[in-house]
Amino acid sequence: MTLSKFDYYGPKTVAEAVGLLGEIGEGAKVMAGGTDVLVRIRHRMLKPRAVVGLKRIEGLNGISCGPKRGLSVGATALLADVAAHRGIRRLYPGIAEAALGTANVQVRNMATLAGNLCNASPAADNAPTLLALNAELTIQGPGGERKRPLEGFFKGPGVTDLAPEEVVTAIFVPPPAERSGTAYLHLSARGKHDCTAVGVGVMLAMAGRKCRDARIFISACGPTPLRAPQAEQMLIGQVPTDKRMAEAGVRASGEALPICDIRASADYRCRVLGVLTRRALQAARDRAAKKG
Amino acid sequence: MEDRYSIIGKDVPRNDAVAKATGAAAYTDDMKLPGMLHGKLLRSPLPHARIRRIDTSRAERLPGVKCVITGEDTPKVKYGNWRLFPTTQDEYPLAVDKVRFIGDEVAAVAAVDVDTALEALELIRVEYEELPAVFDVDAALAKTAPALHEASPTNISIDRKISYGDVERGFSASDYVREDTFTVHAVSPGYMEPCSSLALCDLDGRITLWTSTQTPYIVQCLLASTLGMRENDIRVIKPFVGGGFGGKMELRPWEFCAAFMARRTGRPVKFTLTRQEELCYGRRRHPMKLWSKVGFKKDGTLVAKDLKILLDGGAYNAMGPTATFLCGNFGAMLYRYPNYRFLGEHVYTNKAPASAMRGFGAPQSLFAAETQMNMAAEELGIDPIELRIKNAMVTGDEIPGVATISSCGFIESLQEAAKMSGWKRKRKNFKAGRGIGVGCYSFISGGVFNWFNTQYPFSAAEVRAFADGTVHLLTMASDIGQGSDTVLKQILAEELGLGMEDIRITSADTAMTPQADLGTWGSRVTLMGGGAVQNAARKIKEELFGTVSARFDLNVIFEMECRNGRVYAKGKPERGMTFGEAVALAQKARRGEPLVARGYYTPRDKGLVTPAFSFGAQVAEVEVDRETGIVSVKKMWTAHDCGTVINPMAVEGQLEGSIHMGLGYALSEELQVENGRTMNNTFLDYKMFTAEDMPPGESVCIETYEPEGPMGAKEAGEGLASPTAPAVAEAVYHATGYRCKDLPITPEKILKGMKK
Ligand SMILES: Cc1cc2nc3c(=O)[nH]c(=O)nc-3n(C[C@H](O)[C@H](O)[C@H](O)COP(=O)(O)OP(=O)(O)OC[C@H]3O[C@@H](n4cnc5c(N)ncnc54)[C@H](O)[C@@H]3O)c2cc1C
Repeated sequence: MTLSKFDYYGPKTVAEAVGLLGEIGEGAKVMAGGTDVLVRIRHRMLKPRAVVGLKRIEGLNGISCGPKRGLSVGATALLADVAAHRGIRRLYPGIAEAALGTANVQVRNMATLAGNLCNASPAADNAPTLLALNAELTIQGPGGERKRPLEGFFKGPGVTDLAPEEVVTAIFVPPPAERSGTAYLHLSARGKHDCTAVGVGVMLAMAGRKCRDARIFISACGPTPLRAPQAEQMLIGQVPTDKRMAEAGVRASGEALPICDIRASADYRCRVLGVLTRRALQAARDRAAKKG
Repeated sequence: MEDRYSIIGKDVPRNDAVAKATGAAAYTDDMKLPGMLHGKLLRSPLPHARIRRIDTSRAERLPGVKCVITGEDTPKVKYGNWRLFPTTQDEYPLAVDKVRFIGDEVAAVAAVDVDTALEALELIRVEYEELPAVFDVDAALAKTAPALHEASPTNISIDRKISYGDVERGFSASDYVREDTFTVHAVSPGYMEPCSSLALCDLDGRITLWTSTQTPYIVQCLLASTLGMRENDIRVIKPFVGGGFGGKMELRPWEFCAAFMARRTGRPVKFTLTRQEELCYGRRRHPMKLWSKVGFKKDGTLVAKDLKILLDGGAYNAMGPTATFLCGNFGAMLYRYPNYRFLGEHVYTNKAPASAMRGFGAPQSLFAAETQMNMAAEELGIDPIELRIKNAMVTGDEIPGVATISSCGFIESLQEAAKMSGWKRKRKNFKAGRGIGVGCYSFISGGVFNWFNTQYPFSAAEVRAFADGTVHLLTMASDIGQGSDTVLKQILAEELGLGMEDIRITSADTAMTPQADLGTWGSRVTLMGGGAVQNAARKIKEELFGTVSARFDLNVIFEMECRNGRVYAKGKPERGMTFGEAVALAQKARRGEPLVARGYYTPRDKGLVTPAFSFGAQVAEVEVDRETGIVSVKKMWTAHDCGTVINPMAVEGQLEGSIHMGLGYALSEELQVENGRTMNNTFLDYKMFTAEDMPPGESVCIETYEPEGPMGAKEAGEGLASPTAPAVAEAVYHATGYRCKDLPITPEKILKGMKK
């Protein structure tokens, strides 16, 4: 099948991109790797008048990572780059895991981390861990640059807080808290290459034997990635035993809003969400312990 | 077998492998002709409705649209593959009066490009009067159910009965009787190449159709009848085809529309379906409801089996009648059932029609039979493999009135599969969450039935021999990716003592290759097409033997052979000459007339089903996450009897493909249909196993010699679609205590059904 007709722009700077979006107005679509955009155009779910590609913008694909600096991922950095980055794998293994667990080699070689977030799929694999780690977005618009937390960015399936002429330029993740660990677990009916039916990303920070902070985010169980604050509260200030984590898992599944669809029933999602949350918490606790 | 064969049994690379791997192979959709138009189909949005009125005028006025047709424009001739029984032919190329499923083809547009054609579809107005619809066999069989077709007021389009022995007496003589109901789901053939057809109308008004099909001859005949033309005025060419698995063995509406519109417009017309159309409206494997009752003696001896199957056929017969017939035959296979009864009924429902799909009824029928065997083994306290060996068919066994098993390596397959997999040890020692299970199959090597009512041989081949030492093989057999072009060349090369490079092949062109060939389905090509090639080759050999014999004044009792490019007296290679020289001499003797031979194969006196059966056993090992229900398949072991292995590499490819499809059938693939609408319409949500999901495997070919097959060969690769689901189901049971009687096995079902 052919693609419907549209104009293509390849701006060289972010300012130029933002300018183009403003000029073209309605019907303009930002594209990074295109793994969502082009598929949607092909399926005729999206009929843009113009596509504004970001990949020619120099320097937008940078990744910088350090224990003090934190992590900054440019808007056109590929999922493959994130998954393979040594610094990320050392300091933010949960982020690297989520990137590596997204789609397949070919898709990861085209797709971007920013695109995965801006696409705002409730099942996006990279959102939960970034949310758990308090990630922040840098956004450029006609009025200049703004920053905002990733939490609250998702408004519904495919809908974000972005204005039509705005572009995400980078994702920032603060330095990992001391004695903290993250983990992302997801599952689908088929196996390795599949759309996530249930996912959970967690961050756990320890003080002594007790849990100092916990953040739990769930994907594919509601219109956007969801936070599980009650489950978090069950852990904070407590010794995170396996039993407590199992209880937190059950609570988290009560906080989710899963639906029945062709990928899984609501029942099943709830049931395994408890299991996955417990397992992710355990993995995060073990990682935190290793950091000593 | 020391050196008995030069090229049979060798890993000869497929002759299409490089072209396909590099992307050089041209499939129908890759073809472009000058002035070509692009066709698109308007499909019914309703599962059952009467068509009141169709207004195409706005579509016709859209610039770029060259032709718009509806059923009213066509000759309104019904078609179907069972020509012998015209009442079973229930389909029109474009709907006439009624639509019967969501996706039923209502109108077609040909335009200068795809976008214009799609836009035109949106401009066609159809007024429907919606009718009540039925979506499963129970609803379709209810007294108040609406009839889909006038000819079938009960919605049962065809039934089939088999009976031998005395089932009731068998059950009363049994010590152990069990009864189970199974259900199996719809899956898609999922071939990589969506259907595509390109038609050209020549100056005389004759049609050439390039089409992605398994059965060029059937398309030719049915296209002729639906267009009101003569068979010979239609030429069907099969280019490279990206798989069929049973889904491309009938005439299809776009083939008709391409040809019809090419005649109307005088311009070539091409249709290519989208993946979404394939998944939503395409042919699929029959969902079925199977009820089975079996009786055993205490010691495990099978006494009787009673089997009833309802096939959920969808809106039209398609290949359902054949599947109904075969289900009953597969139900009687593998084991000795002294008393057997079968009733199969093919039921219309308002869904996309089911049809043939790899196994043609066997995967469903054998899922029930093999699962029941596993359940019985447990209750009888006999190891499942032992129980099978005790009842296994052997060479020479007869199914009364139906078939004689002329070769059978089933027991050896069972023994080998047990040995390879470490069956005994693993069956005993596994920890919770790990399991191992077995499933078996038998399959046909082509059908002996002639419901298509062809007036030609089932398979034919022509061999032309040349003085330069080459030959040209012409055959209508269709290579759709299974490798028949390579295997037929191997058979010919072996017979004539030539190399693969000495053979040119022209295949699957109905105007150029000899009449006829029933097509690629039911695992018929190696045995039947191969038989025809062998028959032609032997006629060439006879001629050459006579020539060489005369030249060297050989004693008439001398045996002769063709080998290494030479024709000579056996044991006396100096009394002979090269193949080319022999051809030249023979041609001289014939005063210039080229050396050409025709060969044929038509099964005769081979019972009711097939000339030869394959057999095999498969063991699956799985690990189940007992908290999430996720199954990971650790390894598959297969031992199978496909007679003489002509090309081990090709057989291995078939085996891997079958396991891939079998695992999908067991665990992940399912067309989810709600109120007649298929919900998962992309490969994202229609979940086939990917390369990374595939487990490792080991396999062994148990070589037997099938007297009816070329060089002793028979079926490989289609039957293997059957054992995987029951083997995995048994392994999951072994691991979790969850017994699957309704495919597919999903994590949710496991969690619900698991024994703590
Ligand atoms: C075969 C296949 C498998 C997949 N499997 C998975 C999977 O397992 N898990 C998963 O989470 N996803 C999966 N995806 C989805 C997809 O690959 C990801 O969402 C990807 O990360 C999107 O990145 P992209 O650069 O390709 O985005 P694009 O397609 O270019 O854009 C996606 C969306 O984000 C917007 N956008 C992109 N960049 C910016 C920006 N800088 N500023 C503002 N808006 C922007 C676009 O306008 C568009 O709406 C799969 C896709 C395919 C085709």
